[in-house]
Order: sequence, then C-alpha cells, then structure tokens
Amino acid sequence: MELSPALSAKFEKLQNSYPVKRSALIPMLMYAQDEYGCVSDEMIAEIGRQLDLNNVQIEETLAYYSMLHRRPWGKHHVQICTNVACMLKGGNELLERAKRRLEIGHKETTADGVFSLEEVECIGACTGAPAMQVNYDFYENLTPLKFDRIIEELDAGKHPAPEPVISGALHERHELETPLISRRWGMKDSHKIDVYLMQGGYKALEKALKEMTPESIIEEVKKSNLRGRGGAGFPTGMKWSFVPKDTPKAKYVICNADESEPGTCKDRPLMEMDPHQLIEGMVIAGRAIGSHQGFIYIRGEYRYVLDIVDGAIAEAYERGYLGKNILGSGFDFDLLVHTGAGAYECGEESALMESLEGKRGYPRIKPPFPAVVGLYGCPTIINNVETLSAVPSIIREGGDAYASRGTPKNGGTRMLCVAGHVNRPGIYEVRLGMNMKKFIYDVAGGIPDGKKLKAVIPGGSSCPLLTADEIDIAMDYDSVAKAGSMLGSGGMVIMDEDTCMVDMARRIMHFYAHESCGWCIPCREGTTWLRKTLERFHAGMGCVEDIDMIADLAKNMLGRTFCPLGDAAAMPTISIMKKWRGEFEDHLRGRCPYKSAGALVGSR
Amino acid sequence: MAEQKLIKLKINEREVQVPQGTLVIEATRRMGTEVPSFCYYPGLSLQAACRMCLVEVEKAPKLQTACTLVATEGMIVRTDTEQVRQARKYMLEFLLTNHPLDCPVCDKGGECELQDMVFRYGADSSRFVEEKIHRPEEKWSELVYYDAPRCILCFRCVRVCDEGMDVKALGVGMRGANSVIIPNRQDHLECEECGMCIDICPVGALTSGTYRYKTRPWEMAYVSTVCTHCSNGCKTTLSVRNHEILRSNNRDLSGINGDFLCVKGRFGFDFTKHVERIRQPLVRKGDRLYPVSWEEAALAAATKLKAAYDSGGKDAIGFIGSNRTSNEENYLLQKLARTTFGTNNIDHHRTADYTGLITALGERAGDSLLTMEQLYQSKAVLLVGNDPTTQNPLVGWQIRSGIRHFGTKLFVINANEIKLKRRATQFVKVAAGQEAVVLRWLAHEEGQLAPELVEQLVQLKAGLEAESDVAVVFGAEISGAAIATLVAFGSKLPGKTRYLVLGDYANSRGAADMGVLPDRLPGYAYVGSPHAHTSFEELWSCGPIPPKLGLTAPQMVEAAQAGKLKALYVMGANPLAHFGTLGLGRGKLDLLIVQEMFLTETAQMADIVFPATSAYEKDGTVTNTSGEIQMLRKGAEVMGPRSDFDLLRILSHQLEKLGLGKAFHYKNPAVVFEEIRKAVSGYNVQPAGLLTGGAEATRVEFARNGHVPYDVPVGLIRPAKDTLFTSGTLGRFCTMMESLPEAKA
Repeated sequence: MELSPALSAKFEKLQNSYPVKRSALIPMLMYAQDEYGCVSDEMIAEIGRQLDLNNVQIEETLAYYSMLHRRPWGKHHVQICTNVACMLKGGNELLERAKRRLEIGHKETTADGVFSLEEVECIGACTGAPAMQVNYDFYENLTPLKFDRIIEELDAGKHPAPEPVISGALHERHELETPLISRRWGMKDSHKIDVYLMQGGYKALEKALKEMTPESIIEEVKKSNLRGRGGAGFPTGMKWSFVPKDTPKAKYVICNADESEPGTCKDRPLMEMDPHQLIEGMVIAGRAIGSHQGFIYIRGEYRYVLDIVDGAIAEAYERGYLGKNILGSGFDFDLLVHTGAGAYECGEESALMESLEGKRGYPRIKPPFPAVVGLYGCPTIINNVETLSAVPSIIREGGDAYASRGTPKNGGTRMLCVAGHVNRPGIYEVRLGMNMKKFIYDVAGGIPDGKKLKAVIPGGSSCPLLTADEIDIAMDYDSVAKAGSMLGSGGMVIMDEDTCMVDMARRIMHFYAHESCGWCIPCREGTTWLRKTLERFHAGMGCVEDIDMIADLAKNMLGRTFCPLGDAAAMPTISIMKKWRGEFEDHLRGRCPYKSAGALVGSR
Repeated sequence: MAEQKLIKLKINEREVQVPQGTLVIEATRRMGTEVPSFCYYPGLSLQAACRMCLVEVEKAPKLQTACTLVATEGMIVRTDTEQVRQARKYMLEFLLTNHPLDCPVCDKGGECELQDMVFRYGADSSRFVEEKIHRPEEKWSELVYYDAPRCILCFRCVRVCDEGMDVKALGVGMRGANSVIIPNRQDHLECEECGMCIDICPVGALTSGTYRYKTRPWEMAYVSTVCTHCSNGCKTTLSVRNHEILRSNNRDLSGINGDFLCVKGRFGFDFTKHVERIRQPLVRKGDRLYPVSWEEAALAAATKLKAAYDSGGKDAIGFIGSNRTSNEENYLLQKLARTTFGTNNIDHHRTADYTGLITALGERAGDSLLTMEQLYQSKAVLLVGNDPTTQNPLVGWQIRSGIRHFGTKLFVINANEIKLKRRATQFVKVAAGQEAVVLRWLAHEEGQLAPELVEQLVQLKAGLEAESDVAVVFGAEISGAAIATLVAFGSKLPGKTRYLVLGDYANSRGAADMGVLPDRLPGYAYVGSPHAHTSFEELWSCGPIPPKLGLTAPQMVEAAQAGKLKALYVMGANPLAHFGTLGLGRGKLDLLIVQEMFLTETAQMADIVFPATSAYEKDGTVTNTSGEIQMLRKGAEVMGPRSDFDLLRILSHQLEKLGLGKAFHYKNPAVVFEEIRKAVSGYNVQPAGLLTGGAEATRVEFARNGHVPYDVPVGLIRPAKDTLFTSGTLGRFCTMMESLPEAKA
C-alpha cells in the first residue's frame, strides 16, 4: 500500500534502529494506527512485507496489545480509568456520566464517528484521579463539569488543553521530603539539556567515563544499596554484576518505563521533567556492564512522555553524551525509545523483552535470567526508570553518601505516589525508611473530611493491603515485608472508612483478569474465575461458600503461576479476605452496604 | 554420539541415573512415574504454561515445573506428595472452568488427555458456577475445525506448525482467558494442511474435517501400516471401523516418522472407497470392457498370454511392475516374467536412480546408505535438487528437526528457491539442469562456471569439509554418471558420508530392489552376471534365466506402438500415460492386461482388467526410499478387488494348467518374504523388528554384482513431480485432497 511520506520515513527509520528488524513491529503498528485510525489488512500486509513476517505473526502480536485495534475508534477516543485510585475518586461515576453524555457504551463509537468510549486500566495519573485520556492527551482531576466542558470543546472541534505535567508532581516541598532525583521538577524547561547541564548534569557520566572503571561503577552502585524501584527491590549493583564480562555477544541496557502498576505514576514525571537524568543513568549503566545499546521501553499511553524523552535523546546525541566516543572516552552508547502498546504484563522484565522483540508479551522461562540471556538472547540488564535515574546521583556523590539517606540495605530516597482518600495526593520523594503513618498523615495530609483510615495499598495493587493498625512502620523494603506486604512500586492508595473492600477486591481482580497474558492456566483461569465470582458477590448474589472459595482459589494461584502476575492477583485478594472478611459476610444480606466513593463527581 | 555423563538423582525416594542435561519430567518418565503435562511435548520448545507438571524439589521454596527443570546431581524430587496432588487437582479445576463438558459429543472423548487427567488427578466436583466463555466453532479449512472453548491453550499446535513444519500458520489471538488460536488468513487457514495441529491437540479443540462426528474412538480397530503415497515410508495407524478407514495418524509415535505425517498420509485414504474403484474383473468385448466372472477373466488372461508367448516368443511379452505394490508382489511379477516367460522385459516407472547409487557406491553400499534416523542426526546435510518439503515431506521434517535439535548445517544446491532455503546454512542457486555440472566441479574442479558460482562452491566445500558426518541427499536431477560424480565428491570429504536418493511413490525403492528392472535381478544383480544366474536358478529351481538385457518401460511402450511387442502385462502402473503418447493408444499390442484399482488411461485400453486392492487393504512389505523395510498390514476391506499377490498366484496356477511355468505355491506374502530374505541382497533382516511395526534397514551387499559400466538414458528416470496435494494416479481419486484450495493453487 501507498504510505504517506512521513510514515514511510518513520517506518524506514524504525527498521534500521533495532539490531533485529522485527523489534520495529509494535512501534510501526502504533504509528500506522495513529495515522490511519486503525490497523487495516493492507497495513498488515505492508508491514509484513517490510519486516518479513507473515500476517499471523503480526495479527497475534497486534491482538495482544490493548491499544492496537483493527477497526477505527472515534476521532476522539475517550478512555476513562476506573482502576483503584480513580475508582476511589469517582472513576466509575465518571464512566457512567460519559456513557450517558455520549450515548455509547464501553468500546462503542458514536454514530457520527466523533467519539468512542473505553473503560481502561490504570493510565498512570493516580495522583490526578479521576483521570482520562482522550487519544494521547491526559485530563486529570476531573469533575462532571470539567468532563462536560472537555467533551463540548472536542465536539466543537477545539482542542482543550491537556495537563501540562502530571498532577500531583508539582507541589510545595514538604519538610519531610528529601528531593534528590526529583529536585529539578518544576524548574523551567527542566527537560532541556541546557537546564540539566546547568544543574550539574552529565558530570556523573564524565566521572564514570574518565575516572572510573566498569568494576568501580558497579562497586559504587553496590555501596549505594540501591534496590530496584520497579517493585521487586532487587539490589541493582548485584544485578549488574551478574552480566558476564567475557562474552562475544552484544549486551543491552533496558529501562523499564512500562509503569502500569495500579497506583503508580512516578516514572512519568521522572521522564517528562528530567529525561536527561535517566539518559545519563543509562549511559553509566552501559559503561558498567560494557553495553553499547540501550532501550527505553515506555508504555504506549505515555506518548507525550516518549516524545519528550526522544527530544532529550536527540539533544544528548547532539552534545556528544550519546553516540560514538562519548566525551572523548572512546566509549560508544546508543539509546532508543520504544513504545509499548498497552499491556501490564510487559512490565515483567522478560515479557518486556519479548515485546521489545516485536512479539506477544509472554514472560520467559527463568533461568536463564536476563543478565545472562536477555534481549535477543544476549546479556541484558533491565532497570526501572527511578532506579536508573538514581545512578547519576550515586556516581556523583558516591555510593555511601547516597546510601546514607536510607536505612541499612535500603539506600537512598524513594519516590512515593500517594492517591485515593488523602488530602494531598501527590508524588513525593522521601528517605527510605520514613514512617508510613507519618507520611500519610503529615506529608499527604491525612484523610479528607475527618474520616477514618481503613486500608492502605502500600506499593501498587499487587501488594497485600494493610489495615489502619498496621501502618506504623518504616517504609523500606524489609520493614514493609516484615509487616506482611511490600514496598513495591511506590504506588500508595489510601482508602477511607467508607470504602467497600469487596468492591476493592473486585476491582483489583478485574485488573489482573484483564491483564493476564493467558500463558499459564492458574493465572488465566484463576483471575477470570475470581473476577466473575467477586463481581457476582459484590452485586449481592454471593453465598456463604463463596467466601472461603475466593480465598482458596487465590491461595492456589499463589506461587504456582508462570510469572509474578498470578501472585500479584492473589496477594491483595488473600489479604482482603483475611482482614475484611466481615465485609464479605455483610454482602450476604443483599446489595453492597458501603458507599465506595465519597461524595464526588457523579452526584454533584 | 559423544559419551554422555550420567548423574544421579532421587525421585520418590528411588535413585535414578540419567544423562546430564535431562529434564526432570523425562527422568521421571524414564523410571515409569507419570508426571502429567499438556504443554510439554518432546521435541518442541518448552513452555511451562500448563503447570500440570509441578513437583516438589527439596530445598526449593515453591513447587517446580518438571518440564523446565534440569536434573542435577543429588536432586531430590517428589512427584506424589499431598501438595503436588492438590496442585494438580486445582490446575484441572481451573482448566475446566471454561472448558465445555461436551465430552459425550466431542470427537476426542475417549482419547482425550484432559479427560484422562481429570479422571486420574482431578476433583470429583466443580465449584465453578459462573458463566463460561463461549465462542462458536470455526471451520478453518476442509480439514481443520477449531472449537475455541475446548482449547486449553497448551500451544502445541502453534509450536508444531512453526517449529516442526516451519509453516507458521497458527498464532495466538487476544489474551488472558479470551486467548484463542488464530489461523493465518483471519477466518481460515492457508497452509500445508498436514493436520499435525489436529493430531497434536490433547483435547477436541482442533478436529479433522474427515473424521469429525463419525465415530467414537473405542468403536474402531487400529491397524498400523505404511503410508502409500510418497517414498518416505511414514508409518501410519489406520483407525478402522467395519473395514472402513475413518482416520489415519501415528499417535503411538512409533516408526521412523514419530508423529509426523503430511496431508497425504493423514487424509489421503479416501481413494479406497472412491466410486470409481474397479470391483469386478473386466474383459474387452469389442470396444467396451464388460464385467465378467473371476474364472472367465483368469482363464482368458492365461490363455491369451500363452498364445502370445507361443506365437511371439520370449521377448514378445513385457511386464511392468509397480512402484506402489508390495515387495512380495513385485518380486513375484519379475519371477513370473523371468522364470515362466523367460524374459527380462520387466521394468517399472522409475523416479530415481537407485541402481545408479548402488553401483556408484560399490562395496561401500552396505553402510553408506542413509536411513531416515541417520538423516535426522547428521551433522550436515548436502541437498542437491528436489524439494523435500513438498515431494518428500518426511525428509524435509527430518532435516528441519535435525537443524532444530542438533544444529545440523544444511547446504542446498537447487535450481529453485525451495522452502528449505530458509533453514539453510548455505543455498547455492544453479540453472535448471546444471546440477551435474556443479557436481563435476565439486568433485574434480572441472568445467567452466561463473566466478560467483565458483566462489559459492568453494565456500560450500569448506563447509562440508568441516563436518564429521555428512548426509548427501539428492533427487532425480542426479542420475547415472552424475551419481558417480557425486559419490566421488562425497568420498573426498574427510568425515563419514552417507547417501540418500529421493524417489517418488511408496515402493519405488522396493520395486528396484526386487529386480523389477530389465538389467538387474533382485538385489541389483546384473542380468549378465553368470554368478548371479547360478544362484537364482538354484534358488528358484528353474531353467536358465535370460542373460539378455530386457526392454525398459519406455522402450516397451515404444515397441508396443511399433508392433515389436505383442503383449504387455501391467501391475499397478499407468505406462501408456507416463511413457506413451496417449493419442497413439496401446499401439499394436495384441494383448494388454492390467491389475489396477481404477480405470486409468492404461486400464481403459486393456483387454483384461483385474481389480486390485490398495496398500491399505493388504499385507506385505514395502521399502522406502532410504531402503528401510516395513510391514503393510491390512486395514480396510473392500468388496471385489484382490491383492496383486492373489492375482499373480491365480495367474500362475492358470498358466501352469496350460503348461506354462510353475504355479506359485506361497500361502501368504510372509512366505514370499522368506524367499526374498534369501534372494535379495540386503533383505536378510531380523523379522522381529518388522513384526513389531518397526523399520529394518537393508544393507545391500554389492560384491556379488561385479562392476558393470552404468549410465541411464535421458528420460528413463521420470520424477512424479508430485506436490503436497498430488500423488500420481492415486491422488486423482483422493477426493478430500482434490477439494483443498491449496491443491489448486
């Protein structure tokens, strides 16, 4: 088929950007869809021709990703998040309003083709909940009026201004905060290289290249006690040290920017407001393991962020911080941003690599681990945005200095997003080990309207929930683990006393059932079964046997699934069943006795 | 193969020794303990998706998948603990949530792996009360139907299509619980229609267009025999009900092909009940063929043959054997020609030059002929000509499997960009017909070739020289002297070199081995060799065997048209279509007798036609193109036709009555095979292997043949040029294959 010159050029560039051509598949599908509204048969044939793939290879990849579609949506595709943080702030009511306002249902398009509507999973705007995206534009802190105004403007052919930056990132610094990797947030043009350089940017890289050996870089990172900020908390320096030194194969550095854990929206501001910090961290990581190629895998929904990072990469190339012979050191490093296309599972490191190779995001069998056999079968390190963003600070000021901000074995600062029923939802940088209760009540301002706290998701919806009595703990990996949960991805969601925990369990399971890749039986069937049962139960059609069965099914998923997604679905469910069993019993009497959302959007 | 280090581990408190690198699931199976699995399938990539094989491993915090866990020294594994049993039970409960319990009407009921596992490991009740995900069944092709709700997503079909077949026609659509298998053309399949996906499906998700809703598995008898289509000799098990073949597969994974079968092997059996099957003997009266009694036809055949013999002498009669009938039948036909009629006018439609290869190898023939198993395990393969994917599907499968499992290097010399090019280490394109020229360069560095081609050949040579064993596989493009050149090249390679010539049709090799050749007695003994004469005359207790070379099949047809041949006796062949000019008809033949299943062009012109059974309706043996003998077993039975063995016996008795030759007193084909073991070089194999359904490789001893200058005239070797969907004359009567759009493409 005849492609527009722009798309044609884009395709060509993409194909030449990757070591293996097929990697260009998902970005090609995304950009083709952006231009044509959907992926047509002809487009599949054309991409197949360009990438030497047959159409089933393309179709199966396409079908995996929720953002890719074969039929066009409306001109304005309204995507309303109803995941935990948004749900607590009226996301469901907003969705209902949208349905009434647009006179269409989930995944439907208006007759005139102007609007289509979709209920989506967490879009990474938790601190601006309730939120939605219209195409790639974010609109946050929605109220019924704000929503109506946006729709009216769109209908009138105008383009209502999307959020300039994520809500909740720019706030007055609390005295308990320790801004380190977020310290440039809010500065004018903080994403530009000149601002970054003025603030001491790329000095760490210079030090790493000129004064340090790869071994000493890894040593410094080990000393810093930096642990993976994506959720698992694995010591970063140790991960880097697993990469074989003498291998004829290429090595890769991947930045996992697929931030999709419900309640988490910290990587988004780190990239949109300080992309050079990430780039610098990646080049240093490349130097440490002897890699010359990096990738930043950004979730598809964050297109504007991708564009910002892409711009920053171009600047870095221009100034010689990327490319050949960086700063005259003889070290080469190339960096590429790669768009995802809507799949939580691709946040799992091996699934991400499959996805980056242009395939369905199925996780891989481990061992071998990515450090030995990763992207394209080559040694690869893969780290979260926040992890890599901390690297320049560690190199600049030394591992010990960084580590001293945290507690033993938990070095440095932590980005925390706090959303839901708090007075000051936002993204904060604090020392690891800060008291959780203090954080919720002092930094985040406590629970609105004088209500009582009922439950806390400490680090993304995969973590076991904590009751109000369990939060007087230090927020570091080990202490939260001791309390029976996880620090996870730093996505805190706070629930007040009016929250229905059955509904919370239902919504959490809805997410995992939607995002289960379908690879293994227990996760694929277990999450769907639990979703259906919890929906029925919350609707008042449960029976007493269901209560034990829900817990039992979750327990039997735990530890038996292929990848951690099954555990992620089971753990919160098990904790809710255990800690709020009474609320399940209350539902046996009929419809839900709780008011899920406080007085919010739909009702005013 | 290199000695493998053994390691010891403990499974269920029993010590077991396995080679290093063995997966725990294989180790448990080796000691007879079943660890259930759906997604694990030997030979395909590992998935760990079904989680059925979870076992307890000491010191591991969680249950481990036995299918991905490599056994290590001192490992302690338990497969039958409460925790393991409980995990399996739950896994099956999860699996059944969206699986419809339509077992009573499901084709797979009774032989379903899910059914069996639920029976063994499952719960006795279900707690699932939610709505199941439902989707309508889809017809993907005439042969493949997909019922998504039944699919348990083990991805065996996707893997066998991609890894095994290199077709990649199947993928996975959607995700999560909505995941489905998708075909390559959105709502239908366009592929090789091999049906591997159906066969490998553990449940009734993929069902066969020819078999579905026909029967229950326990109503059928299972007869293991050999596919009657190409020359590769895949073993197939016919599922037979009331003497009718309803299905063909190789689920017992026995034989040289494991579970592999191509479209012909799996679906090409419906010719047996084709309406045009000849069911009665026919005799020409005027310009038409009329059904007559067996007595009348047999008497007429013997009388007329005797008359032709009496009037025209020994060489006035020609015999054409078959590349489809059994070894025993071909053996008897040449024996009839040589002993009763005293002529070497016997040949068959040759599709590959077996004589040429045996002759070129000389004394080395015994251990230089490649078996299918050796092909799979070769370090390198040199493929000259042919397109195994379509013409010799098992050869293609073996090559692909070798590449996948052992990293076999494939070097291809071909005039066409055949599909195997994708898997080739090196592909050298030559002009059609120039294969022999290229071989001469390789063997002797002779001939004028383009410099670019020379460059490629130098590289190819270096590649082959680096390997410790090389399988040389070639098609009909190479015959006669060119084979000698190829062998000359192969002999110069430092490693072990073995050869495989690719013919067409199920028993081409057998026909040649049996001496259905005008210049070779059974076992390729030269007809001019006095030594051979003595031994055969002794074995057959007959008069002198004619020492004169007989006519080849094309020569016989030519002689018939020129009036030099009085009578032609044809068994399971269609020579007038293959070698003649159809317009000229039967020429000046006085007598044409045909044993056949259908009224082929030749049969239509015959004076007498005997209805013959197909290979699926008889016992006997056949030899595949790699010289491996296997047993045919009678699966189907149709009313009317007799086996060619019976027909030749009847004829020999009638002839004896008329004073010509000696009647064949063999009770059954097995008795003939006993004689073949003595008569045919290389056929003295141990019967046990054959009787168990295995393949026994022949080891042709060339010593007694002596050295005879050998070449073949142009046009004698005529490959069938069959595709995946054609099978010579037989293929025209396979209705199912004819109906496939791919067959028309």
